[in-house]
Amino acid sequence: MIDTAVQGRDLLHRWEGNPAITVEDLPFRANTVFNGTPVVTEDAVYLLLRVEGQQGYSFFALARSSDGLHFAVDETPVMLPAKEGRFALYEEKGIEDPRITIIDGICYVMYTAVGSCGPRIALAKTHDYVNYERIALVSEPGNKDGILFPRKINGRYARLDRPIGLGKGSIWISYSPDLVNWGDSEVVITPRDGYWDDFRVGASVTPIETDEGWLEIYHGVRMTRPGRAGPIYRIGIAVLDLDDPSKVIRRSDQPILSPREDYERIGDVGNVCFACGAVVSDNGEVKIYYGAADTSICIATCTLDQILQDGF
Amino acid sequence: MKRRNQDIVYRWEDNPLISICDVGFKCSDIHNAGAVSFKDEILLLVTIEHLSGRRCIHLARPCADGHYQVEHDPFLGPSTDSEYKQHESHGVQDARVTFLEGKYYIVYNSLGDHGFRLALASTEDFHSVERMGLISEPDTKAGVLFPSKIKGRYARLERPGCGSSIWITYSDDLVYWGSSELVICPREGFWDANRIGVGPPPIGIDQGWLVLYYGAKDTSAGPIYRIGAVILDRQEPTHVIGRTNIPILSPRRNYERIGDVPNVVFPTGAVIDSNGYLDIFYGASDSCICVGTTTLEEIIDNCVESEQEY
Repeated sequence: MIDTAVQGRDLLHRWEGNPAITVEDLPFRANTVFNGTPVVTEDAVYLLLRVEGQQGYSFFALARSSDGLHFAVDETPVMLPAKEGRFALYEEKGIEDPRITIIDGICYVMYTAVGSCGPRIALAKTHDYVNYERIALVSEPGNKDGILFPRKINGRYARLDRPIGLGKGSIWISYSPDLVNWGDSEVVITPRDGYWDDFRVGASVTPIETDEGWLEIYHGVRMTRPGRAGPIYRIGIAVLDLDDPSKVIRRSDQPILSPREDYERIGDVGNVCFACGAVVSDNGEVKIYYGAADTSICIATCTLDQILQDGF
Repeated sequence: MKRRNQDIVYRWEDNPLISICDVGFKCSDIHNAGAVSFKDEILLLVTIEHLSGRRCIHLARPCADGHYQVEHDPFLGPSTDSEYKQHESHGVQDARVTFLEGKYYIVYNSLGDHGFRLALASTEDFHSVERMGLISEPDTKAGVLFPSKIKGRYARLERPGCGSSIWITYSDDLVYWGSSELVICPREGFWDANRIGVGPPPIGIDQGWLVLYYGAKDTSAGPIYRIGAVILDRQEPTHVIGRTNIPILSPRRNYERIGDVPNVVFPTGAVIDSNGYLDIFYGASDSCICVGTTTLEEIIDNCVESEQEY
């Protein structure tokens, strides 16, 4: 059962078992594990994890759980940067931040391919969560945090992403007839001067369809002194129009989770709470999986009603 | 004896072709001309920075003396339609014209609240123009369409905001784009060490596609923009057949050295003229339009790694 009493200063409740997965839970040597995307199977919850190896580049491993809280990580990574073919040049520096979306029963993974020309968004699919088939590189360089919507909107696939224009990182939407060619890009959510998300924003969690619209759990960044204290990554929420998701219906003034605990403050990149996925149960309970300080995977919970009622 | 021309491109002796003194209205500067052969004339689509700071694309037509007259009303100005408004609020610029399947397509840059995006328009008569949409996310610049399909798909070259390199992107319908790949990168230590971007539309030659591009090298006094060339494979344009390791044109004359952005030669148009020469139209110092000429052969001969040490 989820404790829904007001707790601390955040809307989300941290799981008392946090951090849920650290590098010590991996059966192989690595630098860190963070930013995991969940998928619910018939009898389990899987998390596709971003692992940063000792060499410095990232790849994906699979963790399995029966309760969505306690995970065991597979013996070997499930997806490594491509070494040959047309993806290789663009994955030279690793693959990062996977986001799973199920569309019509097919499990798609959007992830960031990192090459020497910068990050780009790539798309793969899997039928067993262990083998991944690459489909296409779907953005130009300088783009990350790509997430597919869980269904077509007015006959087209849609994705959120985060290009950077004029040095400002905003959330955009693009559409596609075939998941390969993309267009009709529009800006959706931009940084807000003076707010907690005044430096950069990016999509975090696969949009959740509600009666009110698409609930998007995103990350917002405030830059303190660059190079000294660095950025603070917090988790925020917005609701997008169901038929035209470029329209923001509501956007919360406040984050729903901010780095406060030691495991969020201390790590390779301190002061980071970075959600990469959520599971909504039939009873309305929401588990949000987030990377903490680029060093561990944590879990925070709430109910969908509470997020929609008290989060704004 | 002094060598008269250091460059592969020969400047027209009456340069600049168009300066703001030739424009019949007040403006800040004029630069970057898309060029197209249309009904026995070479028409230019120039970028004018108005006194307000906003940029518009104007049509320029040739006069009897070889100079050009810029039309008063913009050929393409910032659109106030809802789809475009916030993306063109700071202006439109750098038109590159490609003749493709019986129409003239114009890829230009929209500059708005969220940075640079590529946009596409088309015309058949250079009187009316149809906007076809914004075709990239930010911060992509220097986009140009190939003059024919490649393996059945439309293709464009461009410079995405990240990486400072030239990329290629494909489309079946000019609306949805994908399959982006890296084509060429800046070269450390060379004249094109820091940023490169495509110039005029690719020119089909026996060896493949001849592509003129600009390369920038940063100095303590700011960047120097020069013009180079690369030959790409006809069917697989990410395969480089040859690339000049020297520029074909560098800023040397006062009109290329002095202006709003000094030390810039920036090509956006190239037309094979009635004598078989390649006329290259370039913006100089972001302050005037110039023209230089050379032959395709001379550029192609230089699209190899020169073995000369200096």
